[in-house]
Amino acid sequence: METIVAVKDLTQKIGRKTVLDGLTLEVRAGECLGIFGMKGSGKTALLHILAGIDRFTSGKVEVAGIDIRRTEKFKIYLGLVTQERSLFQDLNAAENLDFIAALKNAGRDNIDRLIERLELGEVLNQPVGHMEAGPYQRLALACALLNNPRLLIADELIGAIDLYSRRIILRELETFLAGGGTCIWALSNAEFMRHVHRVGWLEKGKITFYPPAEALTRWNARLQSPAGQGGDGDA
Amino acid sequence: MLRQCLAIMRREVFYLWRDRGLRHILLFGSLLGLMLFYAVYSAQVLKDIPTAVFDLDNSAASRELVDKIGKAEYLKLVASTASYDDLRELIKQGKAVVGVVIPENYGRNLALGRQARVLAVIDGSNMIYATNASAALLTVTRTLSAQAGVSALVARGVQLQQAKDAYQAIDISEEAWFNPALNYAYFLVLALALNIWQQCCTLAACLNVIGERGMKSWLQIRACGISKFRFFASKSIAQIFIFMAVVLPLYILGFGALKLPLNCSWAALLLFTLAFAIAVHSIGTLASSFARNAVDAARFGMIIALPSFVLSGYTWPLEAMPVYLQKVAWILPQTWFFQGINYFAFKNAGWNLMAHYILAMLAIAAVCYGAAAVFIARS
Amino acid sequence: MRQILNIAHYEMLHIFKEKILFLMVFLVPLGYAALFGAAYVSAVLNNVPVAIVDLDDSKLSREIAAAFANSPHFKVIDGIKTYAELQEGMKNGRVRAGVIIPEHFEQDISRHALTRVLTIYDGSNLIWGYNTRKYIREVFNDFIAGRAASYLAGLGYTKNEVRAIMDTVSLNTEVWYNPTFSYTNFLYMGLIMIILHQIGLLSVSLTVTREKERRTWLQFLSAPVPAWKIFAGKALPYFVAGFFNYALLLWFAARFIQVKIGGSLPLILLLGLLYDVIITAAGFFISTRAPNSLQVTRYVMLLSVPLFMISGFTWPWTHIPAYINFLARLLPSTWMMLGFRQVALKELEMSYVLPHIWALILMAFLAVLAAVTFPKRLNPPPDAGPAINSGPSYPSRWK
Repeated sequence: METIVAVKDLTQKIGRKTVLDGLTLEVRAGECLGIFGMKGSGKTALLHILAGIDRFTSGKVEVAGIDIRRTEKFKIYLGLVTQERSLFQDLNAAENLDFIAALKNAGRDNIDRLIERLELGEVLNQPVGHMEAGPYQRLALACALLNNPRLLIADELIGAIDLYSRRIILRELETFLAGGGTCIWALSNAEFMRHVHRVGWLEKGKITFYPPAEALTRWNARLQSPAGQGGDGDA
Repeated sequence: MLRQCLAIMRREVFYLWRDRGLRHILLFGSLLGLMLFYAVYSAQVLKDIPTAVFDLDNSAASRELVDKIGKAEYLKLVASTASYDDLRELIKQGKAVVGVVIPENYGRNLALGRQARVLAVIDGSNMIYATNASAALLTVTRTLSAQAGVSALVARGVQLQQAKDAYQAIDISEEAWFNPALNYAYFLVLALALNIWQQCCTLAACLNVIGERGMKSWLQIRACGISKFRFFASKSIAQIFIFMAVVLPLYILGFGALKLPLNCSWAALLLFTLAFAIAVHSIGTLASSFARNAVDAARFGMIIALPSFVLSGYTWPLEAMPVYLQKVAWILPQTWFFQGINYFAFKNAGWNLMAHYILAMLAIAAVCYGAAAVFIARS
Repeated sequence: MRQILNIAHYEMLHIFKEKILFLMVFLVPLGYAALFGAAYVSAVLNNVPVAIVDLDDSKLSREIAAAFANSPHFKVIDGIKTYAELQEGMKNGRVRAGVIIPEHFEQDISRHALTRVLTIYDGSNLIWGYNTRKYIREVFNDFIAGRAASYLAGLGYTKNEVRAIMDTVSLNTEVWYNPTFSYTNFLYMGLIMIILHQIGLLSVSLTVTREKERRTWLQFLSAPVPAWKIFAGKALPYFVAGFFNYALLLWFAARFIQVKIGGSLPLILLLGLLYDVIITAAGFFISTRAPNSLQVTRYVMLLSVPLFMISGFTWPWTHIPAYINFLARLLPSTWMMLGFRQVALKELEMSYVLPHIWALILMAFLAVLAAVTFPKRLNPPPDAGPAINSGPSYPSRWK
């Protein structure tokens, strides 16, 4: 299978702190990789590098075979859902879809389809600033998918949102993956591990890969251990 | 209670220091302004106004006139052109501000007592140049016409003494008070630097209320149960203290090192400045009390602080503005301050007038603080 | 093109939604222009309050007093009779000038004894100072000429003869470009240029910082839209508004403040166009680099006074040190203010403003180049220790 993301020896230093310490990872087309870690473990830092937002200290990152330091071209294959609200708060939902479609130079024909699939019809006139978490997250996903991306980068795709929205989002994710899409999903809630194909456990700047079931077992074991959340650090 | 207040003041100093932009602005803003403006006006007096002469006559008499123009106060001969067009060109290009055209046969006509017209042209596009050049030419005109008149009378057979009597100029002397050399640096440098200072202070003061209420830490303050009045009063005292600490080096440098004139006592000047610092702070506090965020607060404050110097009448006089605008201007503390700087630093107009000015600024401060208190209490 | 227009469309929507930004883009420039216009509308400093301390009280001294009273430039203030009162009046601003005629003045004149009229004026404000000095000299020149004429008439010369003698040599002074010595013609358009510069810069320089603060900048960065299109789209509304304001303010100045705006219209439009490009591009560039709106607002606003003062627009650049002139020439406002004066006030043709136009073209090119080449990658946020207002946020009650 085709490799869509190839990261080699990626290091990110912020001030004196090494956030990512020589990461190497590969993601193949059609795969859903979960990046698991606690707050501050560097998930967002990693995702923002992959999305071509942040500069990084050293290493090599290729997306769809393109060295992301050289050009911006890989961004046409990209969809991004950010952890913090980054949609345009002065616009309503429909305007956000329209505007972001324009930014991505994607046709408008996708908009209707996504509104229908993510059930956004009722919130289209709502200003994004006052939207509830569930519909907002659905809208964010719709915006990310406007350009039919090959790679979806989702930072906390599902947080503490209503179950109805959660179900819709997971259904859409499945469709996306079934259609040959690839997803990198950063999560801090172990509950969602079962929805990914592989878990990359990010801790102290290093990443270790587990099948989802094993990752969950390790996490539960850590929760039980007397040392508590700090864990034994074998991950 | 004192301990509480001191803690708040101490924290306020840290707050201002850790806002890097504000720190730079307060530390360097007005000092840089002072240095820059002093450099701009380092020539101090507008001498050597570039003057070009087109002498069609080229006689002894015309050369004498050229010499006289060259020696007139503030004028400086820079060119002698071969044609009128050249002269006009120099003025168009701004290389000469004054142009003098001496007609053909000037010397002969003068000797014969016939008419001779000399033309002087002034480039009026820059008023500082134009008023000075015009004043300089007026003295040339006076002596020239007297001289010519005497020789014309003598040519008509009038006795020299009698001819001189006719033109015996009433002797006039001029004195410019408070700034005898008409030093432009004395006039403007300190005031411009203080203008920058008051803008910097406004920017800092505009963070007073919103800087707390716009942050999550406001919840801590609310939870502590400290009275809002005591909290903001302590903060304000610290800020005003900092404003004074910022203006002090400005004064020391200006009056000490740069020798700008200071004719009232230091104590009086500092007291006067303190009243203004309080007034400026009150405006910033008011802006910060109703603004939605820090940027809007800065905008509100600066909307007043920026044009206030022009409106204060420190340069273009208040008396020359329409009456309604004068009334508006006197609402602003900046008007009282900059007018006061003129009256006290230059003229030492006396304690009575100063007390009046100080009271006016404190009254403005009271109104602004009062309004700010209403906004704070209502939220 | 569709992308650019789309970005421009939404930027426009934003300007209309954010009330204060809307005011800044469309109303504040005119507001400031009106305010300063009102301040300078009288244009000429007349009615200088003068006190005449007449210690002689003779026919001659009263003639001198009358000369001042008859001049439109002066307004004689009554009730100041002694030197001490004059001193007091000068200090508290009741009068700006004084004429002191010494005792026995007329007597001394007729005896050819040494005597003189002392005139004083207020030098603490040089707008008063320069003008008053000029007015005093004008009044005295006229007075002396008048006296000579009457003396000659007393000698038995006819009117025509007197005129012939008096006019033997005359130095006629012509004032070009601004013959009325209008302060408004001199200063006002410079202020207008600074207003356009500052308010224009301030509006456009918030366009990216705002996105950074709301994290929507991530949408721009992660989308496959090239930097130059982001610039073109976002800057377009401000550019149009800037040019609209330029035209509006010129019209306002000419129509209501009676400022002389002559010269070639295409040149004025060209200058305005270049100036607008520079302001918009420079503002956008600042915006891409600045950490947040608060810092931009602070620094930009503080620049207003220095920009004006170092330009050589008032205090002539010939009397400013070379290094300050060098600094001033790096700024577009300097070239614009001086160039505009060449065209509008001096009504000069193209060849006299070529250096200004070239300088502005160069700056416009550099500014646009800087604006379109901003990197679409961010540096990770630095670890700045305890700091406030240096990152992409500032105190705000409602986020």
